[in-house]
Amino acid sequence: MGNNKDQLLRDIGIVGFVLTDLSLYLDTHPFDRNAMEYFNHYNRIKHQMEKEFSMKYFPLTINMAESNKEWRWGMAPLPWEGECG
Amino acid sequence: MWNYEKRLEFPVNIKEPNAKLAQVIISQYGGPDGEMGASMRYLSQRYSMPDRNVAGLLTDIGTEELAHLEMVATIVHQLTRNLSMEEIEKSGFAPYYVDHTVGVWPQAASGFPFTAAQFQVTGDPVTDLTEDLAAEQKARTTYDNILRLIKEPDVCEPIKFLRAREIVHFQRFGEALRMTQDKLDGKNFYAFNPAFDRCKDCDDKPDCGCNN
Amino acid sequence: MQDYLYDNNIDKFPVAMAYVPWQRFDKMYDDLEKAFCAGTIFPELDKPFTGRRCV
Repeated sequence: MGNNKDQLLRDIGIVGFVLTDLSLYLDTHPFDRNAMEYFNHYNRIKHQMEKEFSMKYFPLTINMAESNKEWRWGMAPLPWEGECG
Repeated sequence: MWNYEKRLEFPVNIKEPNAKLAQVIISQYGGPDGEMGASMRYLSQRYSMPDRNVAGLLTDIGTEELAHLEMVATIVHQLTRNLSMEEIEKSGFAPYYVDHTVGVWPQAASGFPFTAAQFQVTGDPVTDLTEDLAAEQKARTTYDNILRLIKEPDVCEPIKFLRAREIVHFQRFGEALRMTQDKLDGKNFYAFNPAFDRCKDCDDKPDCGCNN
Repeated sequence: MQDYLYDNNIDKFPVAMAYVPWQRFDKMYDDLEKAFCAGTIFPELDKPFTGRRCV
């Protein structure tokens, strides 16, 4: 997976999307072990990537927003700003 | 309760403002088949779903619709920021501008404001899930109609993504309806409302089908 | 579990009701970037709009 900020954010988006699609499938197929294995696998990856992203750039979720000097959650860019903002 | 992730479900990075497109796409924000109606519909209907998995599905799809609402709002915001007064007048955006400047307000393309009258909560699981199937198709058609109007890839890609999600949600609601049917008697699916009607003599007839 | 709901013959399903076939999870797209752009990880649910007949 990529090192720079945009690539890492894109990868988090992709893995997050895989989890979204899998979770809806599992809601109607609650005993599909194959899908659950995929879910567990990508869930761990997403958590790792979010931790890395939060350490290097800014917190994507409030549970990664622990701050000392400045309130990192509040300083983080908002998703609708886009790259061209 | 909810937690927020500071990212879009699918990236939106629009380079050129385009007020004409914004006026069309805003329908998927607050229009009759838009994402605000979708999220409010599913998140309101879930309380009367007797099947816990179905109620959970409505929660998860309703939550995803909130992420879609944010994507559509972002598209409208990025299509209208940095607009010149000349572009506002030329593109027919003046009537919206005079009330909202370039803020994002939930309305249909026609200007009709968002209203809960555009969706139902009947409190009958079969009826509500059948509405949800239709709702996904209506939103899909709206995205088809939007796709015919746009060529710009930076607007097209997120719209295509949103359209694809309607088809996936349709499949899931279909499966949720099957789960609901599974607990009813196929000889007469409509004998009673499983979210409301009770059986007076459940003890005498444990197979009465009322699930109470 | 009611048998007719798992029968492969849809004509045996009770009338006056809507049915969507169950999706069976076989394989998701290997290329996750492609799945993301398609809006689903399931190839069988990937049904893009063409806006043209006969394509």
